[in-house]
Amino acid sequence: MEILTLTANLDALAYVSAFITAGAERSGLDERATWQVQLAVDEAATNIVQHAYAGTEPGTFTITWEVQDNRFIVTLRDHGRSFDPQEVPTPDIMSPLEERQVGGLGIYLMTRLMDEVRFDFDPQEGNFLTMVKYITAPTRDDVVVMPLSGRVDAVTSPRISAEVRDHIASGARYLLLDMSEVNFLSSSGLRALLLIRKELMTEGGELRLCSLQEQVYDVFVLTGFTQVFAIHATQDEAIAAFGQGRA
Amino acid sequence: MEITHKRFNRVDLLALKGRLDATTSPQLKQEIEKLFADGRYRLVIDASGLEYVSSPGLRVLIEARKRAREWKITDLEGGDVRIANLPPRIKEVFDLTGFTSLFDLFDDTTEAVGSF
Repeated sequence: MEILTLTANLDALAYVSAFITAGAERSGLDERATWQVQLAVDEAATNIVQHAYAGTEPGTFTITWEVQDNRFIVTLRDHGRSFDPQEVPTPDIMSPLEERQVGGLGIYLMTRLMDEVRFDFDPQEGNFLTMVKYITAPTRDDVVVMPLSGRVDAVTSPRISAEVRDHIASGARYLLLDMSEVNFLSSSGLRALLLIRKELMTEGGELRLCSLQEQVYDVFVLTGFTQVFAIHATQDEAIAAFGQGRA
Repeated sequence: MEITHKRFNRVDLLALKGRLDATTSPQLKQEIEKLFADGRYRLVIDASGLEYVSSPGLRVLIEARKRAREWKITDLEGGDVRIANLPPRIKEVFDLTGFTSLFDLFDDTTEAVGSF
């Protein structure tokens, strides 16, 4: 867990932004999610700086971030006056200018930008805000995933090759064969895969395989073709690898 | 944040560059107050150089527009704060907070200045 403690004044905001932006980037959040986290955290820190110690000497506040599973978790703790989000009216974002209230936008933005937002108050521990952003694998629409099942052999491979050619004809260059349901691979099947790989490479594309059952993987090991094919444990890992120059 | 002020006959143009947040929004507020004190209520904000906006900045903009619109020459003519060249990220914050429908937005400053 990364921790930063600062005095609650306006100068702190730039440090908070730099701290959380670096954290979000290191945690694999994409550029847009990093921006959303930065804005949400800036709003939270602004609230603390402007309200937590209003009328008194500014105290300190502490910000942390960590990653648990696919969750980027930010916390902010201060020891200022207790903050109850219920007291802040949710802005009516449909209301016309004349009736539009100017407050409440910060908390509203936090809830819109983050996946989870929770406020806690404890007389000893002070205000404790937890915000979570889910880390999602970058979506890409340039990879065609083709699930295969059953036997890949002399009987089934012509149909598989034909389907691949259809994909290539309609512009696909990155092809992933998900082999999780394949329980048998014959030498004819292996030859078909080699030809598919070659055809894709001729077009400047890539073939990758993922989720092989053990007896199928053994065929690749025994023939030495683990060196030829790009084989991945999971779909996500394979999808992320396209276009990285390691096919 | 850098604020560049250009005075036209009827309209004042404020070009913003950098971050409009808790630290810098008082600076914009002060600049706008100065114009209001001079009786200048027709403002265009050129947002093309804006890299970032958070709620204190939004607050200054909405308060300014409310104030400007109270100033009227006739029923049809009066003060306003209009915004030109919102960068995509800033536009996104406007969309999230419903600000897009609170302001007259323009694609370029000439058009915005000419709209008064």
